[in-house]
Amino acid sequence: MSPAILFLLALGLGMAGWLAARARAWSFRRRDPNQRLAALPSHYGWYVAAWIVAPVILFAAIWGAVAPELVMQSVLAHPAAAELPAFGMQRQTILAEARAVATGAAQGVFRPEAAALVEPFRDALSRYNTIGIGVSLIIAFLGGTWSFLRLKPDFAARTKVERMVMAVLLLASLVAILTTLGILISLVFETIRFFGMINPIDFLFGTHWGPDPMSSEADPSRYGALPLFWGTIYIGAIIAMLVAIPLGMMSAIYLTQYASPRWRSWLKPTLEILAGVPTVVYGYFAALTVAPAVRDIALSIGISNASSESALAAGVVMGVMIIPFVSSMADDSIAAVPQAMRDGSLAMGATTNETIRKVLVPAALPGIVAGVMLAVSRAIGETMIVVMAAGAAANLTANPLEAMTTVTFQIVAMLTGEGSFDHPATLSAFALGFVLFLVTLALNYIALRVVKRFREAYE
Amino acid sequence: MSDHVAPTRTAAFEKRLKKRYAAERRFRIAGLCAVLFSVAVLVFLLATMTINGIGGFQRAELRVPVDFSTTPLAVASSGETAGVAIRSLQTQGLPEIVRFGAERALGAEGAAHLNNEAWRIVAREIIADPSIMAGEAEFWLPAGENLSAALRGDGKPELQPLARDLADRGLLDNRFDPGFLTRSDATDPQLVGIWSALKGSILTMIVTLALAFPIGVLAALYLEEYAPRNRWTDIIEVSINNLAAVPSIIFGLLGLAVFLAIFPHFRSAPLIGGMTLALMTMPVIVISGRNAIKAVPPSIRDGAMALGASPVQVVFHHVLPLALPGILTGTIIGMARALGETAPLLMIGMRAFVATPPDGFTDPSTVLPVQIFLWSDEIDRGFVERTSAAIIVLLIFLLLMNGLAIYLRNKFEKKW
Repeated sequence: MSPAILFLLALGLGMAGWLAARARAWSFRRRDPNQRLAALPSHYGWYVAAWIVAPVILFAAIWGAVAPELVMQSVLAHPAAAELPAFGMQRQTILAEARAVATGAAQGVFRPEAAALVEPFRDALSRYNTIGIGVSLIIAFLGGTWSFLRLKPDFAARTKVERMVMAVLLLASLVAILTTLGILISLVFETIRFFGMINPIDFLFGTHWGPDPMSSEADPSRYGALPLFWGTIYIGAIIAMLVAIPLGMMSAIYLTQYASPRWRSWLKPTLEILAGVPTVVYGYFAALTVAPAVRDIALSIGISNASSESALAAGVVMGVMIIPFVSSMADDSIAAVPQAMRDGSLAMGATTNETIRKVLVPAALPGIVAGVMLAVSRAIGETMIVVMAAGAAANLTANPLEAMTTVTFQIVAMLTGEGSFDHPATLSAFALGFVLFLVTLALNYIALRVVKRFREAYE
Repeated sequence: MSDHVAPTRTAAFEKRLKKRYAAERRFRIAGLCAVLFSVAVLVFLLATMTINGIGGFQRAELRVPVDFSTTPLAVASSGETAGVAIRSLQTQGLPEIVRFGAERALGAEGAAHLNNEAWRIVAREIIADPSIMAGEAEFWLPAGENLSAALRGDGKPELQPLARDLADRGLLDNRFDPGFLTRSDATDPQLVGIWSALKGSILTMIVTLALAFPIGVLAALYLEEYAPRNRWTDIIEVSINNLAAVPSIIFGLLGLAVFLAIFPHFRSAPLIGGMTLALMTMPVIVISGRNAIKAVPPSIRDGAMALGASPVQVVFHHVLPLALPGILTGTIIGMARALGETAPLLMIGMRAFVATPPDGFTDPSTVLPVQIFLWSDEIDRGFVERTSAAIIVLLIFLLLMNGLAIYLRNKFEKKW
């Protein structure tokens, strides 16, 4: 059973409660026409509905997490489960197969062991489904009755309902804090486990990266992340920015200062499309078109060891992806410079480009620097382009034509294998993620401070 | 006083002015070039994908006449499911009948390159319309991967004469393959389709929207309308702004460490994928929602308040409906980003080979961008075209969503 059924049940019961409570409120009015109700009838309805829906949904969320485990326990307790292999892939496959048949997702089983488990599965599923629905009904009934009995003509339903609404609003805004906490806790927790096996100094300053998910021993000399940091900085903060900053700045200047409104209304959305293309498409483009072109050009000018996966291809495509981002940030901060400064400079006889270079850009510089910081933070967190185009070899080199790997690439590589959660290779992904998180946060914080500290307020 | 006034336009001045004007022109052209470079890259990217992708909507098919009159088949009664009926046709020898027909029309050499699963297409057509079994019927059936590579002009050179010969006789052709949109993932590029990925994407987006939209809007309302200015709301605000800047792959790590620890049985399900993407989309909705709410003039709040509405009524009856178009625009943009997102979903295991479309929110599934990523790893030339075709489908979806956002913004843009 999917949790969706319980949610639908909750909504249905809630609606019933709403109708019943509203009818009750109307009956108060009919019984004594002089009686003034303390709230609108629909407020009574919302009050009862909330008391039904909220507990049931809470239960459904918990049950959705717990029930599959309970089903599994009861199947494993069945005598037929004793013949299962003790652990490993085979056991998982058999269980999954029996489960698929029992839920009706598959027609028949391939493995004979699974056939014996279908019936226990079906029994357990129907038993726990019944329990789930039964408990939901009881909870709904208790909540509904308790709140329904509280309804009186002078019951201040509106205040209660509005207090609930405020609580929901507050909860919704707390989700952001919970998410941040969740990220921090999950990253910190796994990182500490990783540092229990590998010395942080080895990790941060070692120059050899080559974790072996199959080895049983953690070898500290294989977990030096310096080549990854270098690859990330080289691709994201150097090559990509060499493409994105000049092109983005010049685009912004052209669009704000030179282009006619008509041109601008066409060109700006076109640049925005560039920002909306999914990164996986850029990655494919880089791997399919740009990387071979880069290699061919390199070969034709006599560089024989050019790799088909190169830092240059990934960096250039990433730079193109960032252009609209830089351009719109620069656009905003140039537009914030007052027109009087521009007019003044032009009136003194400066040409437009002198005005831009000597007046507008310096005045807009804090905003532009902040924009560049954010662009860097986005580039080093970018995943798909480097996964598809930058290669897997951890090289500590300045040659842009060589394959290079990045932090995000290694996170993907470490976590999409078959490694277990207790292996340092798997845990290293969380440590890398933690470093990435801290660096992007720092960049964003600096960008914020730069704007606050240096932006001039023009009135 | 001397009546001699130095000429303002000396030769040196003229020279300098000329230089300055030349610099001005160069600067202007450089700006134009920067813009045109971006546009050119976009056009080049779209053109590459389209040219490759058109091939992806086609596949090499062989014309095979099948004569049913010699060996009558019994079609299972209508009560049977399609799977059972196809299996029954298989045991009655349909694959051999198709192979025989292919050998007669194409010769033994050509028939060997008929796709192994081709008879299933015949079986489906028979089930859809049993009357075709009355006599001889003609089918366009997918060719094997080697032959279709030969038809494109690459692959094994020894097959190319055969491919040319069959093509000249009108027996082999690249035909539009509508099944690309309705089939699921497979190991053979001739037989793949994107329906299961598309369906997975849709289910994931439903979960994302159902979580991110209400939470985002409510959080925006709270922060903009009710929140007192204190340390707590500062922390909330800072964490929302930070979340909007956190790399998406970090959300994947969060989903892996938290959601999959709580729901280990829903690995690679749209439910978990949607929850992960919702956390990523929510800050975008909050930020755009707050701007939309801020744009509602205070006079509307004051007016409602003056007529005796409670603060909750003011917001839910007056402010929210007026701000909704702006919020929706931001939501659609956030959803478009979530639709194209790949990295976090790789983290939570949505990269499995999924050959059946998911039936619900808890079934294993993949999504369109991840499918593109998985296909891009295949070395087969056939998959290159299929990948581009899938990219075209994804881009069309994104274009529609962004178009809708622009339409909403223009339609409901209001100046108070």
